[in-house]
Amino acid sequence: MLQLENVTVRFGGLTAVNDVSLNIGTGDVVGLVGANGAGKTTLFNAISGLVRPTSGRIVFNGADVLKAPMYQRARMGIGRTFQIPQPMHELTVRQNLQVAQRFGTGRIDERRIDEVLDFTGLTAKAGRDASTGLALTELKALEVAKALATDPKLLLLDEVLAGLETNGKRAFMNMLKGLHEKFAVGICIIEHDIETISNLCARVAVLNFGQLIAEGAPAAVFNDPAVVKSYTGADHA
Amino acid sequence: MPPSPGMSYIDWNANMTELILQSVYSGLLQGGSYALIALGLALVFGAMKVINLAHGELVLLAAYIAYTVETKLGWNPAAAIPVAVIIVTATSALLYFVVSRIKTNREINSLTLTYGVGVILTNIVLMIWSADVRATSSSWMQEAFQVGDLYSMRSEVLFFFVSLVLIVALWWWLSRSWYGRAVRAVSSNRDAAKLMGINPGRTELVSFLVAGILAAFAGVALFSYGTITPATGGVLTVKAFIITVLAGVGSIPGVLIGAVLLGIAEALTVTLASSALQELAGMGLFLLVLFVMPNGLFGATKRRG
Amino acid sequence: MKMNKLLILVLAAVYVGVPLLLGSNAYVMSLVIASLVIGGIALSWALLGNLGGMVSFGHAAFFGVGAYTSAVLSMQHGVPVFIGLLLGGVGAVVAALAMLPVLRLRGPYFALAILAYAHIFRILATEWQSVTGGSGGIASIPRLPQLFGYDFSGKTGNYLVILTIVLVFALVYDMIRRSPHGLALRAMHDSEDATRVVGVNNTLLKGLMLLVSAFMCGVVGAFNAHYINFLEPDYAFSAGWVTIPIVAAIFGGYRTITGPLVGAVVVYLVDQLFVKNIMPTGHQLVLGVVLVAMIIASPDGLFGLVRKFMRKKDATA
Repeated sequence: MLQLENVTVRFGGLTAVNDVSLNIGTGDVVGLVGANGAGKTTLFNAISGLVRPTSGRIVFNGADVLKAPMYQRARMGIGRTFQIPQPMHELTVRQNLQVAQRFGTGRIDERRIDEVLDFTGLTAKAGRDASTGLALTELKALEVAKALATDPKLLLLDEVLAGLETNGKRAFMNMLKGLHEKFAVGICIIEHDIETISNLCARVAVLNFGQLIAEGAPAAVFNDPAVVKSYTGADHA
Repeated sequence: MPPSPGMSYIDWNANMTELILQSVYSGLLQGGSYALIALGLALVFGAMKVINLAHGELVLLAAYIAYTVETKLGWNPAAAIPVAVIIVTATSALLYFVVSRIKTNREINSLTLTYGVGVILTNIVLMIWSADVRATSSSWMQEAFQVGDLYSMRSEVLFFFVSLVLIVALWWWLSRSWYGRAVRAVSSNRDAAKLMGINPGRTELVSFLVAGILAAFAGVALFSYGTITPATGGVLTVKAFIITVLAGVGSIPGVLIGAVLLGIAEALTVTLASSALQELAGMGLFLLVLFVMPNGLFGATKRRG
Repeated sequence: MKMNKLLILVLAAVYVGVPLLLGSNAYVMSLVIASLVIGGIALSWALLGNLGGMVSFGHAAFFGVGAYTSAVLSMQHGVPVFIGLLLGGVGAVVAALAMLPVLRLRGPYFALAILAYAHIFRILATEWQSVTGGSGGIASIPRLPQLFGYDFSGKTGNYLVILTIVLVFALVYDMIRRSPHGLALRAMHDSEDATRVVGVNNTLLKGLMLLVSAFMCGVVGAFNAHYINFLEPDYAFSAGWVTIPIVAAIFGGYRTITGPLVGAVVVYLVDQLFVKNIMPTGHQLVLGVVLVAMIIASPDGLFGLVRKFMRKKDATA
């Protein structure tokens, strides 16, 4: 479904993403891990259109993604959440989803919006102002809800669990597990928590200084000495 | 033929090259005052991210003060400079205090606010001095000054050099003096400047004051070789803005060159086309730069939304 | 249900009541008509500011282009006046199309770029003598004609037409505001990426708002031409068509739809009836003072002030 071929993103002298090639299939749940600054968010930015790769190809369901401006990528089926939640200001939660749905799919389906609200646990807050009336967990849930409202085929989740305390985290994780089953999306998730990733993902890719240094099943990847070294600087976990 | 205010420099016996050279020369001289006006605008924008739409009116005020000094006291308009500096700088400080009272959305609200102040000042000028066109009648100022085959009024050359001196002084002040560097610091990173112990409020006030000083000189200059009406204020603000766009943000030499370019473009338009199209020159240049070189000729800052 | 009854009452008052009561007083009627013209411009300005997120100092461009388009088409090409009004709007849209590249500029740069365009159009109108009559202008522009048996050329007729125009525009503004497009527009000022990432083409929507605003202002300008029956560049593109609507919109509250309209009527009437008598020359100075005061005290306009006041009362109650 999504093919990244030799994607490189350079900002002036800094190479944030270095020659990364990765495939994500329709049913996949792929984890993307790496130390801070490894290039994970930049990679997401390249796929969703905030940033233009310096070289490389990104193909989604046969179409060349890089030819499309940012706003078209949602319509192509690429959904994305932001690490720091970006609710649509001045609109209610429901309105956030209405905008997302109307522009991401071309029509409004209130039933589907209700479904998404229910799934992300936001039904009770549907009428609240998105920028002032929500707690952090709810803001993060809204990020996921907005992306879901666009009927995505691929969901890019950027550190949705960051900043949440244990209870919130657990609830969220259960939601994320259900995502894949309920909405039939492929997921690529950036997280720091190894346990979470191992629980959720069938496959993990590891970035270090912009380069892909390992890819495979969680157990294998997290025991890979190169990966351990990138996290701890030492040869043993 | 020695020129006088309002009279075109066209001597129909001259050939095209002479005409063009004369235009370029006149435009160059005009560019000096334009640069002063544009620098005042740029200074305030740098320090406060506020575009002072009333800046042209400050220049206008100085010009009318010069007119009053000349007509009521019978002195050479240049003598009006100290008075103009005091009054215009005080007005500028007043303007600062009003702008600093804006509570939200300062970038946008300051636009409408300074626009309103501009309307106030224009109407004050209108009420005090009426709508008639004014120009200096000082023969000392108007006397022809010749450099080779190029003519100008003495006032034009005088104030061109005054402008140069002021620009150099400004440059020195920005790079060497404490307040000058504080202004640059606040322009580039307000929070970091605060951390260094710089009081942004005071720095902003200083920028308004310096802008007022520059405006005062420009206004007296304008009166000394051009014509003024209450409507001139708005026109000057737009021209100053055009120059800052031409120059790009953050470059004094850029502003001077942009100002001279505008002056020359205007002079050439008047000579080769018609004086009615003079304003079009600036507008055309403006749009050209916006589309072709969005960073200005020398600017380094992004201005995209 | 209450709203509908109130609405019917208001409509009856403005459509029937005003002509009945004031129709014979030509002076008052002309004030009302002029304030509605200002209101129309203020509405289009507020729409651009609110939904488009752009402050413009150049709406005189749309006003003037609309005026000239309609005048020229009806006089030199025999276009019926009412069609001319619409075409005036179209003319303004064409002018706005020329401004589209300026959209990507940030606030102040956009505002002044539009002003630059206004100057250019004014100069064009002055110099393109063969079409626009140059600085002398065009005289004897046809009045509004008969339609459905009613003669619209008188004060009452003109009043009814401009009233309808303004109300229709207010309705359109409201419809846009409530639609998903309106929602997206309101959100995108502070959340550009959030809207883009879900599929909103920010630039396109903003561009459309510029065109809508231009159309509205152009139609109002065209109306004014056929009402005043005379046009010249300095009048059609005058700064007054910029200043007064802005003051009106800010005073009345540019975030609402009724705000600019109420603001226009109040500001214009007060200016013409009182201030002009006290200070005939510099009366616009008061406008400037009002603008400055409003920005500092209550940028959301009079209604914002009232709301704040009400909230304070609730808090202390």
